[in-house]
Amino acid sequence: MNKYTQWFDERLPIFSFMDKQLANKPTPKNLNYMWNFGSLAGVCLMLQIITGIFLAMHYKADVNLAFDSVQHIMRNVEWGWLIRNMHMVGASFFFIVVYIHIFRGLYYGSYKSPREVLWWMGIIILFLMMATAFIGYVLPWGQMSYWGATVITNLLSVIPFVGESIVVWLWGGYNVGDPTLNRFFALHYLLPFVIVGVVFLHLWALWTSKSNNPVGIDLKKQTDWIPFHPYYTIKDMFGLGVFLIPFTFMVFFLPDYLGHTDNYIPADPLKTPAHIVPEWYFLPFYAILRAIPHKLLGVVAMVASIAILFVLPWLDRSKVRSANFRPIYRQMFWIFLVNVFVLGWVGAKPPEGHYVIIGQVSTTLYFLFFLSLPWVSKFEKTKPLPTSL
Amino acid sequence: MKKLFIALSLSLLVAQSGHAAGGAIDVPKGEWSFVGPKAHWDTMEILRGYEVATQVCLACHGFKYFSHRNLTEIGLTEEQTKALAAKMDMDVNAKLLSGLTEEDGKDAYGLVVPDLSVMAKARPNGVDYLKALLLGYEDAPEGFDVGNGHYNKYFPGHIIAMPNPLSEDIITYMDGTPATVEQMAHDVSAFIAFTSEPELVKRQNLGIYVLIYLLIFTALTYALKNAIWRDIKKKS
Repeated sequence: MNKYTQWFDERLPIFSFMDKQLANKPTPKNLNYMWNFGSLAGVCLMLQIITGIFLAMHYKADVNLAFDSVQHIMRNVEWGWLIRNMHMVGASFFFIVVYIHIFRGLYYGSYKSPREVLWWMGIIILFLMMATAFIGYVLPWGQMSYWGATVITNLLSVIPFVGESIVVWLWGGYNVGDPTLNRFFALHYLLPFVIVGVVFLHLWALWTSKSNNPVGIDLKKQTDWIPFHPYYTIKDMFGLGVFLIPFTFMVFFLPDYLGHTDNYIPADPLKTPAHIVPEWYFLPFYAILRAIPHKLLGVVAMVASIAILFVLPWLDRSKVRSANFRPIYRQMFWIFLVNVFVLGWVGAKPPEGHYVIIGQVSTTLYFLFFLSLPWVSKFEKTKPLPTSL
Repeated sequence: MKKLFIALSLSLLVAQSGHAAGGAIDVPKGEWSFVGPKAHWDTMEILRGYEVATQVCLACHGFKYFSHRNLTEIGLTEEQTKALAAKMDMDVNAKLLSGLTEEDGKDAYGLVVPDLSVMAKARPNGVDYLKALLLGYEDAPEGFDVGNGHYNKYFPGHIIAMPNPLSEDIITYMDGTPATVEQMAHDVSAFIAFTSEPELVKRQNLGIYVLIYLLIFTALTYALKNAIWRDIKKKS
């Protein structure tokens, strides 16, 4: 540190903070590529915020202008098509990255003591991301925007006594309309910055309890740790390159592949699409919602399917973190993962015939994973853990 | 854990096949100059499509996101675009709108006639679907009641309000190409693909360079990563 940065640092210790928490942060030396997805999620968030701010400069939150303004961005705004494609594909890739990040946490027991609060912050980020993504999908004001918004906001009407009033309050009227679009735009601009705030808490908790690692043991030996920079900065950089290749491919060659063609039809309140399908990243939860024939219980199950993650650190009582040393949990994890894919597949299908049965079986399996953990973790014979790396 | 990554990537495909299953009918896949590694706009093809669009479709359908100026994107000079606009008594920046009003459209067909300028993005299978639809008019099968509509084998539900718009030599191409129904269906679909995504060709051509850049970047960071990690790997 030269004398100028030293002078500044004595008054506001940004430099020594960055040195301590980022550059020289002791980090387990055995982190595998599954640990790349945290920093990748951060990159995705930044990408969404930056592209989003530029889109907001040209977008018009008015039911008569919104659809046209998106086409204006695609056609007349300099590089507008690139910015919008990045934002659109970026939303999907953000979810891919975050889902992998969460499954990594599940596999390696990153939610266990002392990282419960770190895990909680992550779940709050997931909820916020979902709200932001859902609201963002409404903004282009296509058919799926309108009808998706109608179906999902209507779910709140199941809240006893006050549900109907809440929905009217949320819409700013008696249906999804101009006031809804306007406030959704305001919220879509606000929420990402709330996410940034919770991400900071997530990192703070990480700096406090330190990274978990694939072996899942507390590292006591000095030689088990290496500084974050340059080892993990370069590894993250390489991971970023690997991430950007499929991302770029989608942006330039298949930007609409993950979206729905109906959203290029302007919203029409008088014409319901044949199938109202949410974006792919909501499909497993949508399947859980529809698996239960009772509307209120369906909504409760859908919310519970994510909220149950909050208590996971206490459902799973095993002291061993990594699934590599837990033969039964390891099997359960893979079944759980496959089951989530099945739910996603069912969520995309019309709710009829055998899809209903599959959806109900899958939903049961989903919750069974969590509810059986207290017993499994009690009786499971874990493999012996090493004492250092 | 690698399995996890592969599995999650596959989920996208699963999700997408689910989307596509939403009532879409398989359509024949065509060859298009603007899709693939050597993507380009075939100027004459798009211009022929423009002729079909302005002389046939425009009677009922608008192209509100298209103006003649956009044709510079397929290689026309500004003078040429102005000349084409002048032929239609239009300003080069004016939207290409139909003379048919919304109400007249409703009276004639019982629905609001859709604008066509993003149509290639608004239907599953895009440009292939548009061409198939234009060639999909047939006599309804025995006992199939189409009411006031028309039978089309590629339209979802098979009853379409639009009567078969194309017939042999309904227009005369400026370049002398025989105006067969097949030819016109192909050309006008290409034109709609162009109005739907004027950036399509530029996007794909630029994408190749960005991908090459990223492949080099990733290879270099991989080499650098290995170099930096060498002593850590040796110790363990």
